Amino acid sequence: MFYSDQKKQVSLYNRRTFILFLLKLSLFSAVGWRLYNIQILDSSKYKTMSKKNQIDLEIIFPIRGKIFDRNKVLIAKNEKVYDVYIIPENTKSINNTLNALSKFIDIDFIKRRKVIELSKQVKKFEKIKIFENISWSTLEKIETNKYNLQGVFIAEDYLRIYPYKDNFSHLLGYISKPNQQELALPFISKMPNLDIGKQGLEKSFNPLLVGKAGQREIEVNSNGRIIREISKVDSIKGEEVSLSIDLRIQQYAINLLKSHKAGSINVINIKTGEILCMASTPTYDPNKIIQKPNTEYWESILANTLSPLTNRSIQGLYSPGSTFKMIVAIAALKHGVINTDTTHSCTGKIGFGNRLYHCWKTNGHGKMNVTDAIKQSCDVFFYEISKKLGIDKIAEVAKDFGLGKSYDISMPNQNTGIVPNKKWKKEKKGESWYAGETLICAIGQGFVLTNPFQLAVMTSIIASNGKMIEPTIIKGNRVSFKTNDKYSKEIKIIKKAMFKVVNENKGTAFKSRLQDIKFAGKTGTSQVRRISLSERESDDFREKEQEWKNRDHALFVGYIPYDDPKYSISVIIEHGGSGASTAAPIAKQIFNYINELEV
Amino acid sequence: MILEKIKNLNYLLIFLLILLSFIGAAGLYSAADGSYQPWTSRHLVRFYIFLLMAILISLIDIKVIYKYSYALFGLTLLLLISVEVIGVLGKGATRWIRVFGLSIQPSELVKITIILALAKFYHDIKFENIKKISYLFFPFLILVIPFGFVIIQPDLGTSLSILILGAFILFLAGIRLWKFILGLIITLVSIPIFLQSIKPYQRDRIISFLNPESDPLGKGYQLIQSKIALGSGGATGKGFLQGTQSYLEYLPEKQTDFIFTLIGEEFGFLGTIFIIFLFILLIAVCYFISIKCFHTFGRILALGVASNIFIYVFMNIAMVSGLMPVVGIPLPLISYGGSVMLSIMISIGLVLNVELNYNHKKLDNA
Repeated sequence: MFYSDQKKQVSLYNRRTFILFLLKLSLFSAVGWRLYNIQILDSSKYKTMSKKNQIDLEIIFPIRGKIFDRNKVLIAKNEKVYDVYIIPENTKSINNTLNALSKFIDIDFIKRRKVIELSKQVKKFEKIKIFENISWSTLEKIETNKYNLQGVFIAEDYLRIYPYKDNFSHLLGYISKPNQQELALPFISKMPNLDIGKQGLEKSFNPLLVGKAGQREIEVNSNGRIIREISKVDSIKGEEVSLSIDLRIQQYAINLLKSHKAGSINVINIKTGEILCMASTPTYDPNKIIQKPNTEYWESILANTLSPLTNRSIQGLYSPGSTFKMIVAIAALKHGVINTDTTHSCTGKIGFGNRLYHCWKTNGHGKMNVTDAIKQSCDVFFYEISKKLGIDKIAEVAKDFGLGKSYDISMPNQNTGIVPNKKWKKEKKGESWYAGETLICAIGQGFVLTNPFQLAVMTSIIASNGKMIEPTIIKGNRVSFKTNDKYSKEIKIIKKAMFKVVNENKGTAFKSRLQDIKFAGKTGTSQVRRISLSERESDDFREKEQEWKNRDHALFVGYIPYDDPKYSISVIIEHGGSGASTAAPIAKQIFNYINELEV
Repeated sequence: MILEKIKNLNYLLIFLLILLSFIGAAGLYSAADGSYQPWTSRHLVRFYIFLLMAILISLIDIKVIYKYSYALFGLTLLLLISVEVIGVLGKGATRWIRVFGLSIQPSELVKITIILALAKFYHDIKFENIKKISYLFFPFLILVIPFGFVIIQPDLGTSLSILILGAFILFLAGIRLWKFILGLIITLVSIPIFLQSIKPYQRDRIISFLNPESDPLGKGYQLIQSKIALGSGGATGKGFLQGTQSYLEYLPEKQTDFIFTLIGEEFGFLGTIFIIFLFILLIAVCYFISIKCFHTFGRILALGVASNIFIYVFMNIAMVSGLMPVVGIPLPLISYGGSVMLSIMISIGLVLNVELNYNHKKLDNA
């Protein structure tokens, strides 16, 4: 090798070594720049991503508040139930485990396929629910055999239970999963799987009952498996609600109603405004709606033409019939159309315009003053006074006594009924008022419609000498009601008449009187259809056995004790016949029962 | 004589090795959630054994190494071929051979013997012959045969690093630049031909490796998570043992290829730059030895080893930071794994040897 060659080679090596080193340095600078970008410039972005990676929020559902009656008896509670889950990861094969499980509990083909399909979709350590609310005997069998049931896991849950079944169906309603609209409500937005109230008090008290969700921050690894708990805020139980309802009266009333097809009984404590009983039949069992499968039960409810879902007390609208006569009488006395001595003679019918208006008593009551007319429920007397009174004055008094409006009693979907006047007819029907319609309304027929609860409130106002009772469904005294002095003189007269209805011979409810404690009231029989002339001419049209749906509704309103009224009642039996024969005896039984209870 | 050699060893280089392997040990300790098991203790034990081995290698007469360079290349090539044969017979792809309880990847060893063989070749030929095309044939074979066997394993990262390593060495040896460009073109053109000539199952392996969609929760996810680990470390890191990405198993292969991201999460930008700085230092020392050396064999050997280490480090960091596709290259001395550490320490031993024998004029008349 020549020396010059070697020298050339060395300088070539040195040059190229230097170039290579520079190349490597620049490549290292490139990764250094890259790291600077990731670790310094974009660091905050990656820090959030890292946090999101590790921390999951888990909602802890609150336990729904209990509901009590006025005597602290539980009427809506939460019962621990047991659900069966399977954790795919812990089984050798899902099929084997399901086979083993099917020895203790029936797993149908669809369910099995669903579980297996789900197990392929979810992460293998996630639990899949197979059964809800299993029976004690099944639970026992699964627990004792759990070593043969790999991956089967039993978890507690809470189920809403209504121990008095259908006694409170309309009052309490029921709970279920929220729908799309309800998901927007503030108190459930984070808990799409939490049951919420769908009807009745469960619905209106939902914000109170639902409680506050807790949450758990958990660290999860890349598979979503929980590594540890970081923080936990316990859920807050829903508030307890004590109703003004007395379970015993409610049960008693429901039982009385059950001997008829449909009806409603309402009892109000006049002194406090507390609703002691709000019963409506037919009923349904909310437990059967909550517990799945419920399809069959739902279908049977929907198929029932009597619509058991309707709370007749506040949603059923009826002609008040003769129970409306107190309103008309007060209006007539107030406006000087009559005084206590004014009499009209009842011959069984009067003519007005080109029509005949009949009294229920075909042969007539004879000479009647206002007290007698209420006591014997003479229709002709009221035809006569309403002619001079006019509908608008009647309507004004009716509204003063609480008809035609809804009450702040936390019950959704009240039907307010109709208190007609001339303006109303013009607006709704586009026609002017006919004088004859006033006569019909004066006996609580025609356009006048009320719900049974309104009649109970009306009776309370009369009984309390005009106190503006504010009914409530929550237990607690509310004694300071405003008194409306406008009608105090007239009310005194009417109350005496109502006493006679029950406690004097010839009174329509005389047969239903109580010996120990006197009560006052008024019967009502509201016509469901018009009686044709030919029917009226046949003597026995009232006695004739008629088809159930054509029979009159039977009504009674009243209060007890007469001297110092404490409880008011309204009873309506759909197609029950006459108020005197059907509704008044029920009111008597209830009053008697309340006396026994000494609430 | 031996004592004097030991006295003259490059202790800066040895210090850098110790520092890097200790950083690796710390990373592995953290990867195991604060435990010496299962990685840290073995990592350190291996390091000490291999360091001893490197020093022993540095004491061997360089003329012996020079003499057997081709033989060593042939031997490692045989090992590489046998891995492929065993793989075929055993009906499964494998890259490993077990020797003395250690899994050895022949492809790692072959890279060292490629350096040796090329160094010997260029040491032997006359300077004026370097430019002749006929003298390119033998180096070409030295590179292409191992490359072919590695790529059908398929180990894309290692096979690529063989090519780059070869390019670095040939560049140093004095090959003209245009020949590299020509070589690149030939390589690109020959890829389809190569794919055609190999067996279908080998082709499938390579294609499925190159196609990331064949691995749904694979490379893309790995890359995002490793970037999150690096990025969430910020400037100074979350602190030792405080990294959540590895602890919560978001980091894939945290103890091997992705250990750099774990260190980046716990020690931040400062930590990652410090590691890169140490590697630059390590490579610079090798360059220094290369320049200092009188003979071509030593020069090429030292620079080849430096290039080999550079390729590992660069590819690994580029891969975990998303500059390069994920190809499975570990970080030398820091990642867990005996095979890479063995090959790195052997090659460092050779560099130490070169420095001790830098002033030899002749190597071929022992």
